Amino acid sequence: MEMTSVTLVVAFFVLLLLNVPISISIGVATLLAMVMSMDIAPATITIAQRMAGGLNSFALLAIPFFVLSGLIMGRGGIAKRLIECAMALIGALPGGLALVNVVSCMLFGAISGSAVAATSAIGSFMLPEMKKAGYEPNFSAALTAAASTTGMLIPPSNILIVYAIASGGVSIAALFMAGYIPGIMVGLALMLVCFVYAKMKGYPLSPRLPLKVVVEKTVAALPSLFLIFLVIGGIVGGVFTATEAGAIAVVYSLLLAVVFYKEVDPKTLPDILLKAAETTAIVMLLIAASTAMSWLLSFENIPQTLSNALLSLSDNPLLILLLINLLLIVVGAFLDMTPAVLIFTPIFLPVAVELGMSELHFGIMLVLNLSIGLCSPPVGAVLFITCAIAKTKLENIIRPLIPLYIAMFVVLMLVTYVSWFSEALPRALGF
Amino acid sequence: MTIIRLIDKALAGTLIIAMVSILLTVIWQVVSRYILKDPASATEELSRFILIWIGILGAAYAYRQHAHLGFNLIVERQSRKVKRLLLTFVEVIVIIFCALVMLYGGSELVLLTLELEQISAALGVKMGFIYSVLPLSGGLIIAYALVNITTLWRNDNKESV
Repeated sequence: MEMTSVTLVVAFFVLLLLNVPISISIGVATLLAMVMSMDIAPATITIAQRMAGGLNSFALLAIPFFVLSGLIMGRGGIAKRLIECAMALIGALPGGLALVNVVSCMLFGAISGSAVAATSAIGSFMLPEMKKAGYEPNFSAALTAAASTTGMLIPPSNILIVYAIASGGVSIAALFMAGYIPGIMVGLALMLVCFVYAKMKGYPLSPRLPLKVVVEKTVAALPSLFLIFLVIGGIVGGVFTATEAGAIAVVYSLLLAVVFYKEVDPKTLPDILLKAAETTAIVMLLIAASTAMSWLLSFENIPQTLSNALLSLSDNPLLILLLINLLLIVVGAFLDMTPAVLIFTPIFLPVAVELGMSELHFGIMLVLNLSIGLCSPPVGAVLFITCAIAKTKLENIIRPLIPLYIAMFVVLMLVTYVSWFSEALPRALGF
Repeated sequence: MTIIRLIDKALAGTLIIAMVSILLTVIWQVVSRYILKDPASATEELSRFILIWIGILGAAYAYRQHAHLGFNLIVERQSRKVKRLLLTFVEVIVIIFCALVMLYGGSELVLLTLELEQISAALGVKMGFIYSVLPLSGGLIIAYALVNITTLWRNDNKESV
């Protein structure tokens, strides 16, 4: 077992650092580790089988749909209307544009289910605006990266679907409900940082808009906001599954973008479909490879061994949870979120349950934790996208990220130790 | 290179059709349940199979687009010569993985499931056909990786990441 796990970890990191794509690094590391204890021919067949098997899931189907609807909404003027609505409502507060950025990311993340979609849709619009208004571009970039991760928790969320699968049957609807309060808490914490930052830097206040404009902008955003009710209401009310809700979100956003707002030319639809297939495939290959690695781990009894080792470290559950969080933050900085959830859920979930945590609560803690990793160097996907949009270097946005990290970490601790934040809403709705 | 272009087009076309089909399949599932009151039984399985195809075949397309997530900070800092060697090494690793797992392991899996006559529950499709996307995509990724290597060593001056 030791040989297997050492090979797995060392091979993965070496390959990752050499710029081998993450999914291939996971696959090759799994193959190398497997060859330690079996012949290469059956090892390759097993991995191939696990890879295809990992994708054979109806719940995963929600992912291409939310990716697709996210793309349509980004190009279809839906992001723009959400931003304008947020601008009209809170733009005149101190740090208004930064606050608008956070709220737009929350709303857009909420309707698209993807941090990456939120980053590019909101970032490409808000970053130039904030620069014009005199905000420090590196701060704006860091903020967009951090804020876009709120979409991981605020439903619908692709990663919560992946967790539902990894945990072996936590209800997706319950997870979606559980994500609301923590997701909004992260958003509020980030806004607090913006507020203080803007006061310190003395940014000029934007003029308050007349009530008529506020009403106008809100009404214009209503059809976009209705999507949230349609998707979440449908899932929670048991009208359709998360996957079906995804398909309905695609149809609705198509109607909105092509027929109602007329901002998407039907001729560009093949391109949008292809882009969605590409993004989906990146996630799917990660899932496929992680499923193979996860299978090997459980075949070698590694999750149980690690769980027992963790539990034997201390009698204090608070300490063990803190340790798990710190480990996950390191993991999150190197590993993309999808493989991290698939690989580490079987390792840490039994420990958390042993300590009296519910599967629901653990899932929210895990995703919130890995959200911090999503906007952490060296690997954070969202970070690279914001840097590309803001035309800045990764090094430059580390410093402005620090206060935002601290805010996120405080929320993480609250969510870890107070189960109410995750469990109140699903419980109230009878899950 | 015209063959590669042709493959690109066919791959893109297949993916677009697959995306449309998967969407229609799931919409049909909802419609048949709520409007026709006669739930379709095969749609769930069909959509899962299309997803496997989009995921695995799309991986080849994403590879062509250099879209897979990776960590390039170290490689980017090297001199051009070292960088080229490292990037070639990455392509070789990808080729080895695809050849062993997707092409060989995948083909064996296809043959094995065909031999055992494993068929799907609702549609009665031979599972071997579903799994055939593994060797297909593996072969495509190998071809693309070879193209990448040729590009790396042919254009000395061009940045090709």
